[in-house]
Amino acid sequence: MIKLTINGEPKSFDVPSDMPLLWVLRDVLGMTGTKFGCGIAQCGACTVHVEGKPVRSCMLPVGAVHDRPVTTIEGIGASPAGAKIQKAWLDLEVIQCGYCQSGQIMSAAALLASTPNPDDSDIDAAMAGNICRCGTYVRIRAAIKHAASQRQS
Amino acid sequence: MSPAARIIGSVAVIGVVVVAGAVWFIRGPGPLAFADGPRVALADYKGADPTGVPAELAKANIVERGAYLAKAADCMVCHTTAGGKEYAGGLGFKLPFGTLYSTNITPDKETGIGNYSDRDFLNALHRGTRRDGARLYPAMPFTSYTYISDADALAIKAYLFSLPPVRAAAPQNTLMFPFNQRWAMTFWSVVFNPDTRFEPDSSKSPEWNRGAYLAEALAHCGECHTPRNLAFALDNRRKFGGALTAGWRAFNISSDKATGVGAWRDEDLVSYLSTGHAAGHGTASGPMGEAVDHSFSQFAPQDIRALVAFLRSVPPTASADLPATLAPPAPASHKDGGGIADSRGKLVFEGACVSCHGWTGQSPISPFATLTGAWAVNDPSATNVAQIVISGTKRHAPEGVISMPAFGNAYSDIEIAAVANYVTARFGSKGSSMTAQDVAELRKQTAQ
Repeated sequence: MIKLTINGEPKSFDVPSDMPLLWVLRDVLGMTGTKFGCGIAQCGACTVHVEGKPVRSCMLPVGAVHDRPVTTIEGIGASPAGAKIQKAWLDLEVIQCGYCQSGQIMSAAALLASTPNPDDSDIDAAMAGNICRCGTYVRIRAAIKHAASQRQS
Repeated sequence: MSPAARIIGSVAVIGVVVVAGAVWFIRGPGPLAFADGPRVALADYKGADPTGVPAELAKANIVERGAYLAKAADCMVCHTTAGGKEYAGGLGFKLPFGTLYSTNITPDKETGIGNYSDRDFLNALHRGTRRDGARLYPAMPFTSYTYISDADALAIKAYLFSLPPVRAAAPQNTLMFPFNQRWAMTFWSVVFNPDTRFEPDSSKSPEWNRGAYLAEALAHCGECHTPRNLAFALDNRRKFGGALTAGWRAFNISSDKATGVGAWRDEDLVSYLSTGHAAGHGTASGPMGEAVDHSFSQFAPQDIRALVAFLRSVPPTASADLPATLAPPAPASHKDGGGIADSRGKLVFEGACVSCHGWTGQSPISPFATLTGAWAVNDPSATNVAQIVISGTKRHAPEGVISMPAFGNAYSDIEIAAVANYVTARFGSKGSSMTAQDVAELRKQTAQ
């Protein structure tokens, strides 16, 4: 039995310790907000936070999480940075098809939490691993800056 | 005798002496010459028998004992292709003068070793001679296996003969002249193969002797970790001093404190050998990763400890090109560290690498993916960094399989060189200056 804290709630489930966290989230817990993209940590769609850091859940064996808290797209709105990012995403109509956007939001929220006023190079460094086939990069960059400019709500 | 004949005779004698001296010099000391204690024949050794299998297998049948010894000798890795049948051979070793293919050592009578008698098998293992009398090339490490006791060698044979025969003829070697002349290996073997069994050192502990037997006869560590001389034989003057093998750098495992393993704690060495990872020392990949997966991870714990005891005794040899200190974790911000003019490396790193390795080099995924402290990122040649980017890796961490995808087909030589240079500059203490040409060369050298 593996025990994790996901979005602040304790969860336990009986899976092999080498099952990727993404499979646990989607297939075992039914938390399908986190997306499967490439499966090899190269697209960013499956990004979640582990101890506040953005991590590709498709490559993370659930047994390697240990007691570190996990936050997913379903819970990120509860954090100040996550709430600001989500609002900015809506205000600027960032999303096109939307498939990659859970991952984009998770990476952007982690960036804003650690770097409240990111410049372009900070945004590049944090977001380069999140790929968007619709090409919403320009709006993503604008939304991150928009979120950074908003006062704490 | 006429004066002319006398002069010719003298010149001939001088010539013979010079050649003999040169051969003696190139040949150098044997792998255990550094331990200059008294040697005794195995039968006369009073301590616990350093050969054979661990105590818990002592009562096992010969096939089970042979299975342990075959793993300790790591036969399978070279005699199996990726995705191929085990022990059926066909793995290509790319050398500067052509490609050499490993042979089928399943008991198939036509394409394997099914017709080998015990004597034939010992001749191959100890003397590098095939059943048909042809000479083997030293890619088959018979100069190490020659130290295996007859009993252990025949247990390995019994194990191999217990396997299902696989019909698979190895591809023809593509060696160029003069390297395709197998008979020439006769002379090489006379000089470089001691053709002698392991002799314990009676001044050393039974544990050391067991470790020496495991390291020298079976695990053949020196075949990758000891540099080679002009004749492509091991140069034991720099025993375990590190070398480049099959396009990967086998690092210095002598007891040198700065550039070898002299400063590693015993438990670090035990952990590295048995799991392929030691905290703060990186993770084995490439050929060493295979050695851990198929060989060391299957060792009995007391055999790992014996190996460590032996490693500790190997005299220090410094690797002059390696920095004396390993770099600490890199700065948390992408803006600091890794300062090199070419921005391409950072572009690749932030797109493909940082999500698992982090800007500090300390992985948020698993300690197995932590770069800090690994020799690979502190090596100013960046050889292993480029190799692992090209071919990826799959490691067996306690919590499950951790893998890194192969990027060789996704990125160009220019990009791989750039990211290797960025990684060594950011996470190592001395950055590399690898070129696209270097990456192209590395791609050619990998065994397949």
